[in-house]
Amino acid sequence: MSASAKAFINRLSIKLRQPQVILGLILVAILTAFVVVPFLQLVHDTAVWQEADRRIIRSAEPGGWTFFHYLRVFASPLSVNIFYRPLLHSLATSLTISLAAMLLGTLMAWLVVRTDMPFRKTIGIFAVIPYVLPSYTLALAWLDFFKNERIGGAAGICAYLFGVSPPDWLAYGFIPIVITLSLHYYPFTYLLVSGALVSLDSNLEEAGEVLGAGRFRILRRITFPLVLPALISAFILTFSRAVGTFGTPYFLGAPVRYFTLATTIFTSIVNRTPAVAYIGALVLILISMFIIIMNQRVIGDKSFVTIAGKGFRRRQTPLGRWRYPAVALMASLIGLAVFIPLLLLLWQTLMLYPNDYSLGNLTLHYWIGKSQAALAEGESGILRNAQILGAAWNSIRLSVIVALTTGIAGILIGYAVVKGRRTRLAAVLEQGSFLPYLIPSIAFGAIYLSLFSRSIGPLPPLYGTFVLLVMVCVAKNLPFSARSGISSMLQVAAELEEAAMMAGASWFRRFRRIILPLTMAGALSGFILAFIATMRELSLIILLITPETRTLTTMTFRYVEQGYSQFADAIILLIVILVVGGEFLARRIGGKRETI
Amino acid sequence: MKRSLILACAIVFLSTLATGILWGQGKFSKETEEWLKKSELGPYETRGYDEKQLYEKAKLEKEVSVYSYSSRVHQFGKTFEQQYPGIRVKGFDMDSTEIVTKVLAEQKAGNFAADVIFLKDPSTVHHELLQKGLAFTYVPPDLKSVLPDRFQKPFLVHHVSLDVLIYNMEANKTAPVQSLWDLTKPEWKSRVSFPDPVKMPEFIEFLATVVQHGDEMAKEYQRVFGKPIQLSKGVKNAGYEWILRVLKNDAVIAGSTNDVSNAVGQPGQQKPPVGITAFSRLRDKEKNPKLVFDVAYDAKPVLGIATEVVIAIVNQAKHPNAAKLMTRWMMGDEKGGQGYKPYFVLGDVPVRTDQLAPKGSRTLAKMNVWMADPAYVWDYGQEIRDFWLANLK
Repeated sequence: MSASAKAFINRLSIKLRQPQVILGLILVAILTAFVVVPFLQLVHDTAVWQEADRRIIRSAEPGGWTFFHYLRVFASPLSVNIFYRPLLHSLATSLTISLAAMLLGTLMAWLVVRTDMPFRKTIGIFAVIPYVLPSYTLALAWLDFFKNERIGGAAGICAYLFGVSPPDWLAYGFIPIVITLSLHYYPFTYLLVSGALVSLDSNLEEAGEVLGAGRFRILRRITFPLVLPALISAFILTFSRAVGTFGTPYFLGAPVRYFTLATTIFTSIVNRTPAVAYIGALVLILISMFIIIMNQRVIGDKSFVTIAGKGFRRRQTPLGRWRYPAVALMASLIGLAVFIPLLLLLWQTLMLYPNDYSLGNLTLHYWIGKSQAALAEGESGILRNAQILGAAWNSIRLSVIVALTTGIAGILIGYAVVKGRRTRLAAVLEQGSFLPYLIPSIAFGAIYLSLFSRSIGPLPPLYGTFVLLVMVCVAKNLPFSARSGISSMLQVAAELEEAAMMAGASWFRRFRRIILPLTMAGALSGFILAFIATMRELSLIILLITPETRTLTTMTFRYVEQGYSQFADAIILLIVILVVGGEFLARRIGGKRETI
Repeated sequence: MKRSLILACAIVFLSTLATGILWGQGKFSKETEEWLKKSELGPYETRGYDEKQLYEKAKLEKEVSVYSYSSRVHQFGKTFEQQYPGIRVKGFDMDSTEIVTKVLAEQKAGNFAADVIFLKDPSTVHHELLQKGLAFTYVPPDLKSVLPDRFQKPFLVHHVSLDVLIYNMEANKTAPVQSLWDLTKPEWKSRVSFPDPVKMPEFIEFLATVVQHGDEMAKEYQRVFGKPIQLSKGVKNAGYEWILRVLKNDAVIAGSTNDVSNAVGQPGQQKPPVGITAFSRLRDKEKNPKLVFDVAYDAKPVLGIATEVVIAIVNQAKHPNAAKLMTRWMMGDEKGGQGYKPYFVLGDVPVRTDQLAPKGSRTLAKMNVWMADPAYVWDYGQEIRDFWLANLK
């Protein structure tokens, strides 16, 4: 063997002995199987004839190569309506939503973590609830309040109370979509930024103060750059989520034909013309790619070590006379985002007939009523309904398993990425772990449907199994936990682990005793995010659900579609109760350390 | 990205292609043949109908799962369980398109979860399931004589469903619209509620049927406006022109038939819309007695379009005998029957010639409707969907 070959093998074996390299390789392999392969399947499907195309082009041969779908999307009489206009709407809404949500979330995080605002712990607990509600909850509540004659029927509560019918621009389309979704998504920013602020040592800011910098300058030059990674993560998460969401744009946009790419993707898949949907998905992926690259440019190689191996403390900024106005503002925001919609929903569940606001119309039938043929096709109240209880159990099971799996995966990815920073493997892993987020949920579900409904190598067909649901949810939620894993790992100084290494601790021991405890706050956020996301996930799993594996959300959507708002709303409330309970438990079990 | 990643991607891509999505194109597979023989279905169907014997066999299978487009599956499921103790009914309701998507996936996966499918969109069922041997028609032998041929071949029709023009009868003493063309008049601008055909296949059937009857639509235009119709540029016939003008009149696209009946039927409206919705939405008036809408029975050229709802047994279903028994149960008897009862309502038209229509309704023959033609819908449905999409504002 030649010397150079020996040297190469030598170098390779040294590399392979580093835990982050081994870990990185394993994770990349897993990502390839669960994300890259499905993604390539998607690309492949856009470029071959589909079975359904034979209804348009008689000579189409399913499986053969073609540009037909690309022409149809980009350059046909349909293009404006199925692509260009929805694209414009998607960009406009998502950007506005992201900016508004970041502003709200950051303000709230700062007030809760770094000031002496009264009731800040309570505010902190309630702050995440909007995210818990399925995203179309606020939309439905909005319609209940603002709807006008356009979609006909009873005018909303607004017209009922004030006698004024709201104009179209307020009832439907861009404005309500942006308001409801900003109120829904700001918790991303809140959780990530508060996580970053919690672990930010006030000494750094005080150092600035000692050196004579003004408060604004400190904010701009010290605090802001240190929470920047969290802010950027928040922007990416919010943007890509908003761009791929279906329910709200559909409910609020359809009455005025305000369609987004996500709603057109959904309808294309439902109509079994998936190729058109996949091209839309590809475009969304490209947009998000662009944003990520920008992100990399911004954070790049800077160091963000804030948890160092020395003393740590956190100082609170006194708000003075702004204490009460601040808490009033926060409380009314949360009221608007959480309590008013929930009350509207609760009211709906108690109404025997919809849109009748009199007291005589109140009933508990939809909660505990026995089956009555005249009402709701004879279905019994949700707490007596075996199908709904079964679905509740499925939801709980799924969310816990997914949250645990993604939480751990997130820390591992964070470790491999941060330790291997500046290596090719780390970059691939970091970007790879983000891919699932770029594929809109509904398309992701469809890809998994086509990929896993037959056996692949040793794998039996997974369609219809619970395992497949777990897989798709883990893959889709990985970006959450990878992001929080990476940003919390960025704050752990290498010296801590190096010290343990010098003392002879094995990797597993170091991981368990040092890395895990120090990143717990971030990991817990990741865990909770994944739990919540899965609990109220709809678009991702709807195509993969079989009767035996139904979840609460899929039942809700069904009831919404059938017009049983009472059942739908009751199930949403049930989801809220389960999620809040789950989150509370998670914090109890996982968070000895103060996380807010 | 990085070169190594591209290489890895290329390898994965090629192997994906190699595995490919290949699907055998033979008539029936060996497994299907055997299953058909064992289940006495398709070419192996037995002549007589012996309910007792079928029940005995079905009891051994213990359960039957039904994928239904209608939530009323829970009602006939319950009565089935009472009638045939020992067989559990697992009824699941979902959209028709979802049922087809799921059955296709289950068939590919060899996970034969559904036994009976009960859904709209017959042209898709015919082309994507029946013709490929992924589902089979079972006409209970004792019913063959009481079903018109077109309702038992090539698929078994359970009932005919009507999508019709409705109006608010509180604001209007009589129907304010007498013709489909009225919907294109300025006074109905922004006041026509139309269910989203992109979401609900039966409204593609609706539109396709209007297009198919383009000549009659042209005549009706002449009658209403007193002059021959001028087709817009690139529009093929008066049916297409009607779709175009309804859209141009700012029709409101509704997410479900339920939304339409709520929009039209809420009391206390100053200027209520009119809409197209499922006739059986008249049931909603029982659920919510306050709704005040009625069907514009005298609308010309038709008051609506009739579409078929079909039943089939899924290829290699695990409970074929229970599935047959369920099919028979759903078809009811001459008085309606327990199994058919949920559909024995105003607006759902029975197909059995020996069965009287529900009280208060007129028979299909007496109602002025066009029947959707599944073959036409299959051939032109997609083109019409494209036309709709291209002309949406």
